[in-house]
Amino acid sequence: MNMKTTADRATGGFFLLFGVLLYFVIIPKYVEVADGAWLMPSTVPNAIAVVLSICGALLMLKPTAHRVQNTREMMFAGLYFTLLAAGLLLMSYVGFVYAAPVLALAVMLLIGERRPFWLLLGVVGLPAGIWWLVAYVLERALP
Amino acid sequence: MVDLATILAGFADAFTLWNLLFVLFGVVVGQFVGAVPGIGPVMAMAIAIPFTFGLDPLPAIAFLVGVNKGGLVGGAVPAVLMNTPGTPDAAATAMDGYPLARDGKPLKATKMALFSSVTGDTFSDLVLITVSAPLAVLALRMGPVEVFALMIFAFAVLSGLIGNSLIKGVIAAALGLLCAMIGSDPENYTPRLLFGYWELFDGLPLASVAIGMLAISEILRRLSQIQGEMKGAIEVRDTGDPNDRRVTWAEYWACRFTMLRGAVIGTILGALPGIGSTAAAFMSYATAKSTSKEPETFGKGNLHGIAAAESANSAVVGSNLIPLLTLGIPGSVGAALIISAFMIHGIQPGPLLFQDQGRLIYGLFGAMIMANILNLWVGQAGLRFWVKVVSAPESIIFASALLLCIVGVSMATGGIFGVAVMLIFAGLGYLMTSYGYSVVIFIISFFLGPRFEVSLSQSLALMNGDWTQIVNYPIALILFVLAAVTTAWFLSRRTPEDPGASVSIED
Amino acid sequence: MKFGLKLAGALAGAVLALASAVNAEEWKPSGTLKLQIGFGAGGSTDTIGRVIAKVMKDQTGWNIIAENKTGGGGVAMFTGISKMPPRGTVIGLGVNMPIMVNLVKRGDQLPFDLNSFDYLGTASRAQLALIARADAPFNTLAEMVEHSKENDGLAIGFGAPPQKLLMEVVNREADAGFRFVSTKGEAETQKLLLGGQVMAGFSSGTHIKYLESGDFKMIAVANDARHDYSPETPTVRESGYGAYVDPYYFFATTAGTDPAALAALTQALDNAINSDEVAKVIQNAAVSNPLNLGPEGTKKMMFDGVENVKVLFGE
Repeated sequence: MNMKTTADRATGGFFLLFGVLLYFVIIPKYVEVADGAWLMPSTVPNAIAVVLSICGALLMLKPTAHRVQNTREMMFAGLYFTLLAAGLLLMSYVGFVYAAPVLALAVMLLIGERRPFWLLLGVVGLPAGIWWLVAYVLERALP
Repeated sequence: MVDLATILAGFADAFTLWNLLFVLFGVVVGQFVGAVPGIGPVMAMAIAIPFTFGLDPLPAIAFLVGVNKGGLVGGAVPAVLMNTPGTPDAAATAMDGYPLARDGKPLKATKMALFSSVTGDTFSDLVLITVSAPLAVLALRMGPVEVFALMIFAFAVLSGLIGNSLIKGVIAAALGLLCAMIGSDPENYTPRLLFGYWELFDGLPLASVAIGMLAISEILRRLSQIQGEMKGAIEVRDTGDPNDRRVTWAEYWACRFTMLRGAVIGTILGALPGIGSTAAAFMSYATAKSTSKEPETFGKGNLHGIAAAESANSAVVGSNLIPLLTLGIPGSVGAALIISAFMIHGIQPGPLLFQDQGRLIYGLFGAMIMANILNLWVGQAGLRFWVKVVSAPESIIFASALLLCIVGVSMATGGIFGVAVMLIFAGLGYLMTSYGYSVVIFIISFFLGPRFEVSLSQSLALMNGDWTQIVNYPIALILFVLAAVTTAWFLSRRTPEDPGASVSIED
Repeated sequence: MKFGLKLAGALAGAVLALASAVNAEEWKPSGTLKLQIGFGAGGSTDTIGRVIAKVMKDQTGWNIIAENKTGGGGVAMFTGISKMPPRGTVIGLGVNMPIMVNLVKRGDQLPFDLNSFDYLGTASRAQLALIARADAPFNTLAEMVEHSKENDGLAIGFGAPPQKLLMEVVNREADAGFRFVSTKGEAETQKLLLGGQVMAGFSSGTHIKYLESGDFKMIAVANDARHDYSPETPTVRESGYGAYVDPYYFFATTAGTDPAALAALTQALDNAINSDEVAKVIQNAAVSNPLNLGPEGTKKMMFDGVENVKVLFGE
């Protein structure tokens, strides 16, 4: 068996460390000890930590032939993720009505949409439609 | 027992034009709202409840039943057409529905979902109407120890979904369970793994995790694969073969045993409060796959896969009303919302309901049957509409799906915090899929987790912490044995891959 | 004595509300008034909150939205409210017990204390009862303790921490040996009772139908006063144990809100709570009657309640 770095070895190592971290650091710090319980608050989480570590170690020893998709796709996914996060941050400050058109425009431009009709529909029609439905018809609060 | 005159009067009430209109209105609203990404069936009901305040009890509840049943059919639409299920039970439908839709047969896929959903639903409605009383007694016999055994059995069935690596399947399940631990522990209600965010005290919001993991992460994947070329989000290919646009009777009839099995699984699990449609859908799917002569065609657009998932998750809805109507115990969030509607109208579900409100209950049964028929009728038209909508350019479809998921999750969880959680789980879901960890196993484990831990705690309390007392619970013992046999059987049917092969990370 | 104080509080609240009625009419919320509900859709708190929001909207003409903010029985919602600027545009509806339990148990971790809020009133008091199946071999709490001692313990279903704390007091004082089975609420507790998996359990109203049908019987009342539908059942305190649980549905907003706004909100809530429509829903959902202690009475109830919770914890 060769010991090349594979995707599975990397994630296996991650889960091995994560399990150890859970067991020795995170669970003792963020789970309370109850006085008198059939099942302690930490029992099941600790069991999970042990399982994660063991499986992580096993995966390092016996990785599968899993292939990760190409870097370009991963980077684009990360880009869209960041865009969404920024959109949400904006929304939490200025509200849906102002943030939604900006977010819609950014997403559509990044996809590559340049046709004015569809852009207009996404930037004006879509947020307006959602506003009309949620705030006006259903009388619910928009984010 | 309710006399025949009351039963007939109840059914007659249901078939008045006024009440039928409310059922129809409910079905239309349910199918439409349920199909919108990010909103889904339960949210559709929560939105609909305030509108029933001013109505008489029967039209109000008939309307909600319509929304509930319509929402169920609608919920399968984004799962099949875009692979973005809003609820975990629809994720089972997506496994075979989406490949079929991607092959240019979206109408065939959604119609199969519609037909099997209505079939499963009707089956469990008939069980509810005819034998709900004895079934309720049976459900009472299923105490915490039996439910714990049933949870173990459900996890065992999950092993039928594990793909190429057993280890990675276990890791995905453990991660789902870990996320279910966030919130409070079931016995002492101490805050657990909150990291200072008291908003998480009730656990991670279900809608955020489900929509983030299943819908948003898939949208991220699809967005990242777009290469600048503008095309429709789904293409309806005109092959000239009309059978690609419909489900033939022969195809439907070939799935009869799959649907019957799904309906039975869904009805049984629905009658037990707190297990839910997710377990039912996947248990039915895993069983259908394992008993099939050609298991390798599952996940590639096999109609049996759609039939198994939809018949089971729809059957849960009817039988969820068994504990609700006979005992006053809601079996799911949807059922809890119906209880809320009952109470607002001054009706207390429970042991005396059939005596006090016999006419109303049989009116409700009549409305349920009508809702099934209307679902079929409205669905035929509705599905064409949705396939048309999803044929619009990807840019507008994905932008609207993202905005709608944000708004839907914000409404369901009460603010932007839930949306942030959704985004985090979208990232996690994307990474897990990229590295070959099953998101579906994660999400089922996450949904089963709380009930698993509660019933473990309850069992320990009842047995005084002594596992040898399990011999006093024969049903639980049988389930444990079944779980072991199932796991062994599923694992033996897996096709293990060549362990020598290992590939380095591609760049 | 206790009841007298509460009555005085309610009267004081009413007088205050009347006195500021003139002033109150001048104030109205800028924009939408949010009524946040600390529990999920479908429960009794949710039902009560939604109908009060609707009636208030009808009566005042203000634009009022009811929304659910779940998390820790209201802790998450009140965390949010305590951090808001006091503009009088958000009201929280919660239940006192979970807030108090968390304040006593982990007050140092919570971002708020009782002084972080201005109290507006209460909607009702939940009537919490200890019940058993009609064929159980005991009828009173004393007999239940005896039965438990003779049979190596007895399983009790509970759906919230205060119920367990109350029975732990009995365990401490009488060495009863009760075993506690945690459930996800009173519906599940009742299922376990009917199925015979637990011998006793807690319920705050939905058991009344079962009393009528002859499936359940009352063992004791967990509140400080007996319930009007079953006046012969003694309270846990009357049975000789020094603790009680009095869950109230109460309204509060951020501390430091403009007095004119407080007066207007208090008045609007009081009008809604005293309407027939709300009374009907409270009777259906919580099997109780509307009871508004008023701002001062509510504040007193909260501060006194924390002392009582310390008793439950044996502190």
